[in-house]
Amino acid sequence: MEVALSHKLGPVRSAWLLPGGASKEAWAVDLADGTELLVRRALTGVIHRDTLTLEQEFRVLEAAYEGGVRVPRPVAYLGDIEGREAFAMERVEGETIGRRIVRDPPSGIEQQLADELAKIHALAPLDFLPSGDVIERFYAELDSVGEPHPAIEYGLVWVRERLPHDRERTFCHGDFRVGNFVISEHGLESVLDWEFAHLGDPIEDLAWPLLRAWRFGADDRRLGGLGDPEPYLERYAELTGREVSAEELVVWEVLGNVKWAIGCLTQSRRHLNGQDRSVEYAVLGRLAAEMEYELLDLIEHA
Amino acid sequence: MPDRPNAAELVEAVWEFLGQEVLPNVQDHRQKFRTLVAMNALAIARRELEGDEGGPDEDELRDLARRIREGEVPELAALKNQVAAKLRISNPQYLERYE
Repeated sequence: MEVALSHKLGPVRSAWLLPGGASKEAWAVDLADGTELLVRRALTGVIHRDTLTLEQEFRVLEAAYEGGVRVPRPVAYLGDIEGREAFAMERVEGETIGRRIVRDPPSGIEQQLADELAKIHALAPLDFLPSGDVIERFYAELDSVGEPHPAIEYGLVWVRERLPHDRERTFCHGDFRVGNFVISEHGLESVLDWEFAHLGDPIEDLAWPLLRAWRFGADDRRLGGLGDPEPYLERYAELTGREVSAEELVVWEVLGNVKWAIGCLTQSRRHLNGQDRSVEYAVLGRLAAEMEYELLDLIEHA
Repeated sequence: MPDRPNAAELVEAVWEFLGQEVLPNVQDHRQKFRTLVAMNALAIARRELEGDEGGPDEDELRDLARRIREGEVPELAALKNQVAAKLRISNPQYLERYE
């Protein structure tokens, strides 16, 4: 790995694999000149439907960086590194592990998240970003799983009847939530993991970090276990003019739970159909029930 | 009827082996995480093997799913109970978050 990297980046002092990362590898790479990089590399040679290639993700990262979004500085798209594509970016210091972050969230984080999201939603669209109808896509993915899920079916019908139809489409991050934020004692340092970037309804992004699944046990702080949603929503409305009622937000929260439930089911199929055998993917099939319960609970109280 | 240990007891034995002998000796963070995930998978399997919750069968679920997609409004409490039964196997602690 060090040899392969040094062909593209110059002399490498050391490279080691970082923990975590269900869909991509992350390598910490120190160059001989002292530069500290993070290399993001595909976990398999397979390119998955509905996620960007690493080359596209690198271009998204460049666009975000140029648009003033807090992201690690993109360094280079590396192409093939020992059979899998990869890119290099600056290595940023801070915490990404949800359980640790929610123990002592920095003050002002709610507004900082809104600031970044407003900048993301103002980025110019890139030609390769997917832009299909989310509900149609979720039905197609659910059908590809081939297992009956009445709770998800109800969530989809309930959302479809309530979703506003006249919203604009913007650049969306697609996975804006705790776990993909680098956070230090100063607050939000970086927004990571741009592989789900797409063109879509900005409110989908806005509601996504509110999901119970991303509160890491700190359930009473509805914004990602970090704080209350109100300061976050108010700042976002101030910056973008997009006001979202509590009723509409619940609809997007239900949709978010549908999305993550289906995401768990499809990822577990990567194990079951032999594409990527892994115990981590396997157990995700049993995680979906948590989002099913949450979406039914949200509907019950709506 | 197989000899003992039965399936649930075998799964429990492997779970104990991972927790007592493998986990304490794993240095690598990623390996440690994956060992914990594997233990969680075994705990789910054990609860499933020991449980005897008679929920709806696959045909009934398929029929219900189809009717909901076609517009039938399901009874929410019954749907929630079905999901709660799955959670009692996959993650019983999760339900405590709603108490």
